[in-house]
Amino acid sequence: MNFDPWTLGFQAVNVLVLVWLLHRFFWTPVAAMIAERQARAATLLDEAEARRAKAEAHLADIEATHAAIGAERDAMLAAARKDAEAARDALIDAARAEAAALHDTAKDARVRAAAALKATAMEEAQGLALTIAGRLAARLDGASVDAAFLGWLVQGVRDLSDADRKALTGAGLELVSATLQDAEAQDHISAALSDALGTPVTLRFRADPGLIAGHELHSPHFTLRNSWAADLDLIAAALKADDPHRNAGAISDAA
Amino acid sequence: MDSPLQSIPLFMAGPVPIMPAVVTTWAIMAVLVLAGVLLTRRLTLLPSAAQAAAELLVGAVDQQIRDVTGAPPAPFRAFIGTLFLFILIANWSSLIPGVTPPTATMETPAALAALVFVSIIFFGVREGGLGGFLRGFALPNPVMIPLNMLESITRSFSMFVRLFGNVMSGVFVIAIVGSLAALLVPIPLMALDLLTGAVQAYIFAVLSMVFITSAVEKGAPEPGPEPGPEPALETEES
Repeated sequence: MNFDPWTLGFQAVNVLVLVWLLHRFFWTPVAAMIAERQARAATLLDEAEARRAKAEAHLADIEATHAAIGAERDAMLAAARKDAEAARDALIDAARAEAAALHDTAKDARVRAAAALKATAMEEAQGLALTIAGRLAARLDGASVDAAFLGWLVQGVRDLSDADRKALTGAGLELVSATLQDAEAQDHISAALSDALGTPVTLRFRADPGLIAGHELHSPHFTLRNSWAADLDLIAAALKADDPHRNAGAISDAA
Repeated sequence: MDSPLQSIPLFMAGPVPIMPAVVTTWAIMAVLVLAGVLLTRRLTLLPSAAQAAAELLVGAVDQQIRDVTGAPPAPFRAFIGTLFLFILIANWSSLIPGVTPPTATMETPAALAALVFVSIIFFGVREGGLGGFLRGFALPNPVMIPLNMLESITRSFSMFVRLFGNVMSGVFVIAIVGSLAALLVPIPLMALDLLTGAVQAYIFAVLSMVFITSAVEKGAPEPGPEPGPEPALETEES
């Protein structure tokens, strides 16, 4: 067993040289590469984090935009719904107004039609009454009827005031009958009227079948009606004066 | 018969004998430097398998230094890492037939221990200055100065003896067993020698780091007292 100081020195120097060489060619380059990779990784991570933050910000913007669009859509839908409801209400009101107008128009038309129908009916009734009266008068004894109407005419003259009777005597009187009176009947009528007026009168006789029956006394300023046609006219006038209210009330109730 | 501990010079360079351990060391140096140059010739951010292995080695050494010292590994990386690599390859060189590991001779472990001893002084002085380093021997009190100085020598000497004894004994055992049954029988012992060589390399490197750290910490200037809260100014109105 020996111990060589030269070898000790050689080995010490060898190891020192090896330390320097490996420091130069191995440890430092590899450590630098590791540090560079770590730095690059850190940089990449930072960039990735920045991009992720940017992406999240964009995502937040997009979500906010979506929310705004959603809110705007809801507002537009609400406005459209409100407009539609307003339009519907307007249409309903217009339809109601139109229906009311149509109803009123129809009611007026129905009232007018009813009034026209009634007027027509009245005219037809008057015509029918005239026809009935004419046929009835034709079937009655003409002399008796003439006598009755003459009596009523004389009584009517007597019921006049003295001034009226005096006015009748001063003017040309015309006696209108339903049938043409013969001479005997004219004399009888003239005598009866002279007696009623209290003075002799001269009469002109004329026939008017429209009177149906009876005698009427006409003067230039005065007419004393005393015929069936006059009575029917009075009745018709009375019906016209009374019926419109009654008929209108009945139509209103029916409406 | 010559002692197996007897080294015979391969040749003489003038008056200087060149031992086989020195030549083997040169070969190991050449291999390590060449491998380092080849590995670091084309370093890329996307490493190859060899580059990944090299980075794994550097990372492991850095992590080990960081665990022991708690400091950045850069100042110690080259020395500690080279010690580990050199001892590992030197120990494993026993697997090559006809090669005696340099660490199986006394000079190489002694040289390594001497370098560690010097490095302890170097790093200690660099950290705390010469005064700080010397004051470290007076801790915990000046009575310990002789013992601390003796310890600084003996711990390096123990490293030398531990490495030399383990490697040399392994070589001896394999040689003895090989002389008795040369075929296949030494293989388990060689595998065990591999493990022993790796463990000894690791132990030598870690102990070196521990001793250097101890010197650095002892030589470092003591931190001042923790700054407490500033006393409130009290003004008395009289």
